[in-house]
Amino acid sequence: MIDKNYAHPDALVTTQWVAEHLSDPGLRLIESNEDILLYDTGHIQGAVHIDWRADLQDETIRDYITVERFSALCERHGISNNTTVVFYGDKSNWWACYALWVFRLFGHTKVKIMDGGREKWISEGRHLTKAVPHFVHGHYTPPCEKRRDEEIRAFYEQALAQSREGRPLIDVRSPGEFRGEMTHMPEYPQEGVLRGGHIPGAASVPWKMAVAEDATFKSYEELRTIYEDEAGLKRGDDVIAYCRIGERSSHTWFVLTYLLGYKNVRNYDGSWTEWGNRVGAPIEKG
Amino acid sequence: MPYPAKLNQIIELFESLPNAEKRESLISYAESAMRQAPKDGETFDLEDIRKDEECTDSVGVFLKISPSSRGCTFRVTLGPQVQTLTKAMTSILCKGLDGLTPEEVIEVPADFVPKIVGADLVRQRSQTVYYILTRMKGITKVWLNRERSARQHV
Repeated sequence: MIDKNYAHPDALVTTQWVAEHLSDPGLRLIESNEDILLYDTGHIQGAVHIDWRADLQDETIRDYITVERFSALCERHGISNNTTVVFYGDKSNWWACYALWVFRLFGHTKVKIMDGGREKWISEGRHLTKAVPHFVHGHYTPPCEKRRDEEIRAFYEQALAQSREGRPLIDVRSPGEFRGEMTHMPEYPQEGVLRGGHIPGAASVPWKMAVAEDATFKSYEELRTIYEDEAGLKRGDDVIAYCRIGERSSHTWFVLTYLLGYKNVRNYDGSWTEWGNRVGAPIEKG
Repeated sequence: MPYPAKLNQIIELFESLPNAEKRESLISYAESAMRQAPKDGETFDLEDIRKDEECTDSVGVFLKISPSSRGCTFRVTLGPQVQTLTKAMTSILCKGLDGLTPEEVIEVPADFVPKIVGADLVRQRSQTVYYILTRMKGITKVWLNRERSARQHV
């Protein structure tokens, strides 16, 4: 547990805490990365790999897997309903937060993030292994009959309504993407979007504002200053966060939900690759 | 179009491997990427070290061309943030394109990449797997342009 005055401090654990709980049978470590082969190069002992694309998304439709497939995925990794799942990964935990958010879509609430992610674990000289663990199949009864999309996920129409009604939208992309000066992330290839800019009325708060140099999350007070004093969010606001495909905004969703304690935050995972390609979608530049 | 012989050997090896072994081989190639850096005392005809806006870290490509055979030798340096697939492709290309003439390098089609990597690993976020080949072709084109220009001035 990390004490930086967070609203839900138990949602974040340190690398040291993870090192001390590697043999805990009620805990499963999940590594989730952007670099598809990074897990294979070495991972924390006992960690399983969940691929954001192959494991969590439907192969055909742009959507997530079904409740049945999610249950099968958990069981395959020895995860039962009462297993606490600790996520970590590369890119300051983008994909770890994304995987955690998807687990929440399916109603799994015993979830944590390892603060600082893979970078911090490695920078501290901690051990990695290539041994892939195998666990006895878990027994997973879906906590809900269908995904809880309506609670923490936003779709195009909802983001559009949010924009028209002047309710908070947080654009977590880089300033250049927000202003419409570029249609790809800095340091990334173009991902096939036709228009640049942002959803009208959205505030620009790049995801990176929430992390320190060592990839750990900033303190409650620092985060409150960024999101409330500077971006104008208020307690009780119904907030939608978005980026390009929903992973950076999962990071911000985690910050707002678990670290600042906002109760109504949704991630618009269609994000700019949907909005910027959609015929007739209103766009603001600058 | 047939692939160059050395590259073709690597492609055929990968095509014969089941997915798990394919991944293991990619990791093995990725781990040898650092050995593709210039060796002490090596000299080059062209060097191109830069960090492109679309790439996560800096990549240096070094080209030496044998005056007698016109065979290319590539060396590559990679920044620490470069993705594992890109590291693997660096080793594969340094070996697979070794000894080709500049004209042959330019002609190498990029469609071998999914054959090595596997279609499931080539996705939007891993398009930089093509990046090293693009950079190698780029530096080779510069060399060819200079050669052409030098010939015109003789």
